[in-house]
Amino acid sequence: MGLLALKTFRHGVHPPEAKDETSGSPIRQFPFAPLLVLPLIQHAGKPSLPEVIEGQEVVRGQRLARPDGFMSVSLHAPATGVVRKIGLCPSISGRMVPGIFLEPHPASTQEVALGEPCPLETATPEAIVAAIQEAGLVGLGGAAFPTHVKLSLPDDKPVDTLIINGAECEPYLTTDHRVMLEQRDDVVMGIRYLLRVCRAERAIVAIEANKPDAARHIQEGLPDDLPASVEVLRVKYPQGAEKMLISALLGREVPSGKLPLDTGALCINVATAAEIGRLLPAGRGIEERVITIGGPAIEHKGNYRIPIGTPLRFLLEQVGVDEDVNRVFLGGPMMGAAAPSLDIPITKGTSGVVAFTDHAAAATHRKIYPCIRCGYCVDACPMLLNPSQLGILALNEEHERMADEFHLLDCFECGSCSFVCPSHIPLVQQFRAAKATVRKARQQAAAAGPTASKEAPA
Amino acid sequence: MKFLRDLHDKADPLFKDGGPLARFHALWEAHDTAMFTPGEVTRTAPHVRDGMDLKRMMITVVIALQPCVLFAVYNTGYQSLRAISKGAVPLDDWQMALYQLLGFSFDPTNIALCLLVGALYFVPILAVVFAVGAVIEIGTAIIRGHEVNEGFLVTGFLLPLTLPPTIPLWMVALGMAFGLIFGKEVFGGTGFNFLNPALTARAFLFFAYPAWMSGDAPWIAADFLGVDSFTGATWLAQAAVTEGVLATASFADAFIGWVPGSMGETSALCALLGMIILLVTRVGSWQTMAGVIAGTVVLATFLNATGSETNPLFAMPFWWHMVLGGWAFGMVFMATDPVSSAFTSTGRFYYGLGIGVLVVLIRVVNPAYPEGMMLAILFMNMFAPLIDHFVVQANVNRRLARVGA
Repeated sequence: MGLLALKTFRHGVHPPEAKDETSGSPIRQFPFAPLLVLPLIQHAGKPSLPEVIEGQEVVRGQRLARPDGFMSVSLHAPATGVVRKIGLCPSISGRMVPGIFLEPHPASTQEVALGEPCPLETATPEAIVAAIQEAGLVGLGGAAFPTHVKLSLPDDKPVDTLIINGAECEPYLTTDHRVMLEQRDDVVMGIRYLLRVCRAERAIVAIEANKPDAARHIQEGLPDDLPASVEVLRVKYPQGAEKMLISALLGREVPSGKLPLDTGALCINVATAAEIGRLLPAGRGIEERVITIGGPAIEHKGNYRIPIGTPLRFLLEQVGVDEDVNRVFLGGPMMGAAAPSLDIPITKGTSGVVAFTDHAAAATHRKIYPCIRCGYCVDACPMLLNPSQLGILALNEEHERMADEFHLLDCFECGSCSFVCPSHIPLVQQFRAAKATVRKARQQAAAAGPTASKEAPA
Repeated sequence: MKFLRDLHDKADPLFKDGGPLARFHALWEAHDTAMFTPGEVTRTAPHVRDGMDLKRMMITVVIALQPCVLFAVYNTGYQSLRAISKGAVPLDDWQMALYQLLGFSFDPTNIALCLLVGALYFVPILAVVFAVGAVIEIGTAIIRGHEVNEGFLVTGFLLPLTLPPTIPLWMVALGMAFGLIFGKEVFGGTGFNFLNPALTARAFLFFAYPAWMSGDAPWIAADFLGVDSFTGATWLAQAAVTEGVLATASFADAFIGWVPGSMGETSALCALLGMIILLVTRVGSWQTMAGVIAGTVVLATFLNATGSETNPLFAMPFWWHMVLGGWAFGMVFMATDPVSSAFTSTGRFYYGLGIGVLVVLIRVVNPAYPEGMMLAILFMNMFAPLIDHFVVQANVNRRLARVGA
């Protein structure tokens, strides 16, 4: 099959893939840090409610915090040890957030305390969704959206296709690649659970063409009774975004302001699916995850199964970093956030840690020139927006116009525009700020004017 | 290096806000970024960037222009020496005085001599253009408190190539100043101009000094007094008034560029080389170029079929349009200027198509302006935003229809 015959979406960019250094390295267990930092909010939604007290001895796998309502998930102890403190801890946003500090017991065997299993054979869809919330599962691709919320499907929106997202288009990251190679049975099991919940006719495992071994491996391991197939996609960023996957695989377009669900498709990250398949039959909660540690400044690059809450400083000490390490990102370099401090922990949504040296980082930030209307960003934007025009409006702080006339809120911040801009205009950075402003203004408007909302058509 | 950096940092506060030299911060900043790599790094995603940046784009265009520059120097000298060897009198100017003082012969077959004569005419024009460009760029940067931008370098290479060799230097300076100030700076500088600055400069000279620029008077650096059967006018100008000129002319000469004309525009071959560079590096838009070609082919063929008894240009086939005048040069280097062209991919094709159609229309239907490329591009520059608007509206409507809203 020729390259052009592979399915893909329109526009997009080709950043250097940089996956070769870690794609061949099997998943290894990461040691326990002397102190684990567990923010109570590692997911999109409300913080979990702690169930333990300071000084309490906990067992690995024990629930530390319960969900606070529907938009929240459980938090489990990543290690057997003592709760040292419940208080503010540093987070990736740069703000202090409530969290639990856990000191692992050095002499412990670290056996996992299991909860109530949720066997596939007997569980109802509702029981599976509840078990997923209890297991503390969130989207492991990086968004950290609670998986059970995604799976709580309204009756009027039937799902016909379950898409298992193994595209992994971010440079440097190879966790999904390794999970597909090493946890095939878990992935298959996860697909069975997910199909039971969403009642889709079929499942498609979407894998970019740069992971032929994973595609072959999964293909060979799909049982005959499972209505699932593997689709190899062209290598292009951001192929792993939900809307791009749906466009590439199904040729459907998610309408502005709507969810993928509105097109009858449900996208679940392959690592999330694997964790569902691994945790639910055992009644386990997620207390560790697979991450890629890579980038030019890392000495022992590779894929690791790491306890949630491992502080970045301990992580870097273990793998070794170059002296001239300059910047550490959580996630990939296209969408990941630069770590504000080395005291922040690995959370459920962290798919990788990438560290750049002075040399690699200096090349990424250069003098900003005026826009020359070259149109590269227009050809790159996967949402078919006009980043150039948006950028000019952002400079003039015309945020409302950006949203009303140029569909700012459709931007999902993939960064393709900033990547290609020959004038180094910080486009996606401006859009991020503008989106926050617009959302805030709209919330305030909604709060201030209840009469206005009443007049809206029912 | 450390020493230099320290020295630089020590001087830095002088140019900051409130420092005694704050007025000249633009200059200081230009020196800073040219000499050192900025020490800042990304704070927010994305943390990797594409290698293509504005400076590299401009350098690519300048490199792509070099075949045209070299040929411009050579052909200017060659045309001049050839005319003189056929009986024309050397011009009464300092270039020729210097040349004769050095005691060189008027031998058009000697490539070195051709290059020398060409350089005597081309280099002063280039120098004037760059001097004026630098003064205006730095001046506006200081006035507006902007950073110095290298954009005038491309303009500086483009303008001399579109001028006849015999143009007075003060005219060149005036044209460049007009093009930069009224074609670019008054709209806000690089990126905000809707007209191509080099073409604006040329258009200004064309309308202000038509005797020098319209192409029907001699464009060769030699004096034709009393020389029969030899005209220095451009071929386009000749074809507009006399029937059958092209029947005896050599297509190969016109393609390679051994004809009189604006210094850098005569060679379609060199423009083709530049076109390949721009297309391979994707700096130039293939949609624009495809549009220009399509527009020219369609309208020229249509006019060929229509025919005219009084206007010999009606019969000119499209391949002659493509090798004469500024067609090739304009398509490759002027029409593709991203700032003044349309910027949606589809829009660029229609923008190019408009240029292709207009250039033939102007050349054929309006014999007063035998060189249509400049006006065609400037005209379409003005319509580019409108084209983009319609392309975007068409996309919106199509997508609305698709989702059935």
